[in-house]
Amino acid sequence: MATPAISIQNLTKLYPIPFKREKVTAVKDLSLTVEPGQVYGLLGPNGSGKSTTMKIVLGLVSPTAGKTEIFGRDSTTVESREDVGFLPENPYFYKFLTGAETMAFFGKLCGLSGARLRERTKELLALVGLENAADRRLGGYSKGMLQRIGLAQAMVQEPRLLVLDEPTAGVDPAGSREIRDLILDFKKRGITVLLCSHLLGQVQEICDRIGILHQGVLVREGRLGDLISIENQTELILENATPELLAEIQAAVGRSNGRVVEQRQPQTTLERYFLEVTGSPERVIGDR
Amino acid sequence: MTAPAATPHKSFSLARVYAIGSNTLLELVRLKVFYFLLLFALLGIGVSFFTSKMTFQEQSQVLKHAALGMMSIFTWLLAVLATAMLLPKDIEERTLYTILAKPVPRLEYLLGKLTGVLALLAIALVVMVAMFTLVLYAQQQSALAAVASQLAPGPDLEAARQQVRADTFTANLVPGIALIYVKAAVCAAVTLLLSTFASSAIFTIIVSVMVFIIGHVQPIAREYLMITEKGASELARFFLGLVALLIPDMRAFTLLDDLAVAIPFELFMQTAGLGVLYVTVYFLVGYLVFAGKEL
Repeated sequence: MATPAISIQNLTKLYPIPFKREKVTAVKDLSLTVEPGQVYGLLGPNGSGKSTTMKIVLGLVSPTAGKTEIFGRDSTTVESREDVGFLPENPYFYKFLTGAETMAFFGKLCGLSGARLRERTKELLALVGLENAADRRLGGYSKGMLQRIGLAQAMVQEPRLLVLDEPTAGVDPAGSREIRDLILDFKKRGITVLLCSHLLGQVQEICDRIGILHQGVLVREGRLGDLISIENQTELILENATPELLAEIQAAVGRSNGRVVEQRQPQTTLERYFLEVTGSPERVIGDR
Repeated sequence: MTAPAATPHKSFSLARVYAIGSNTLLELVRLKVFYFLLLFALLGIGVSFFTSKMTFQEQSQVLKHAALGMMSIFTWLLAVLATAMLLPKDIEERTLYTILAKPVPRLEYLLGKLTGVLALLAIALVVMVAMFTLVLYAQQQSALAAVASQLAPGPDLEAARQQVRADTFTANLVPGIALIYVKAAVCAAVTLLLSTFASSAIFTIIVSVMVFIIGHVQPIAREYLMITEKGASELARFFLGLVALLIPDMRAFTLLDDLAVAIPFELFMQTAGLGVLYVTVYFLVGYLVFAGKEL
């Protein structure tokens, strides 16, 4: 059995309140596993413990109780982060550095150097579409550009696990779709992704499994398809169905124990519609 | 398709320290901290005008005292101001998260920050010394020309020239300047320690300035302790002992009160060694605080 990419066992985190005895429970007895190659969505309202969980997995904060591991390594150790790339929410980078300098800096922190680092920088900047902005300082980047450079630096050391915190927050639909496609490409390459996002539509498109946190407690967890399927209903989409055919189907359902819950025309997504109208065609990774 | 293989980890990497150090230096340079050197140059020019009516020996003394004093103040200011904002800025802007999410131990992060500041101080001091040397050289040349116009060629002229050269570039300048750097390094280490637990850069700066001032009056406190041992209260003695232990003796690094007296090599090495010890201890204490800090 493969070592889980992330293993969280009975994780609890309490924060003290200054000058008071009681403590704030950020995470309470959380246990979950992310298998290698999965895209896992960690969801929850603001203040539910997602960020705290993520910080503990990344070793930035120590747990009060419990254990977290990344590919079998204790996540409180520095070595566990060799396999992790992190894209923070509202990317936190040095604004005085250019795109290329940012990549070089983080690459060196991951042990890359020389020609290998230059090659990797060029490759990743091209992948995220920032090769023309490589010499511009990050202080002049747009929100979408910052998200992209964030993704690029997260990938610099070819990690086995990517932790993405709101990767498409504040990004326009075209950019958001590109980031989504990148995540799907990572999945094809066998990279595990832990994703935190409030954009549930996107989570639904890309995640294999989800966990929902509420007030520090994992309230639901499992395969996305299993969790959101309505068990006793079946969706049937027909093309060029005549009124007579529809009437036959209604009659057949009426003769059985079933019931037609709803009959309507399916809709495209607002995202696809928006992209068509604004002339931003869907692009396949590598089409640059 | 399989994911990339696991990456081996180096528990300590000079390359990572260098990356953070050079990035810190770049950050400070791009903040244009070197513009203060213009002020140093202007003050140097001002001193030259002020001393234009003095004899060569008097001019040389005044210039050296003024230049070394300014170097000491500027490097101290640079050490405190540059170091004080490094950690709070990284914490406030959360760039610290992105860095520590990489396989970077907190020790290397802090060491890289200190190294970057020490590199900045070295560059600033080298530039100030270069300016100072140029002015001294110009003064020397002016004095040599004056001597040549007053004396006929011969042994007296040669002796006078030797005297001018000897009075200009005295041997104790180099160790004196080296100790200015060591003192600034100690100030940077103290400031870094304070910034590991301080809530803001302003608080760090204020406390660093207080430490600097107390460090200069600390010898007086020590002497008071030794002289009045029987008369001083227990609390006063405890407090003064604590001050002597926690705050560096800044006056120990000022060996150039009399520019004519050479600094013995052993004394220089002892003083420099004390400075290195202070920097090491303050850094290690700062690391211990930072290692346990919740982000």
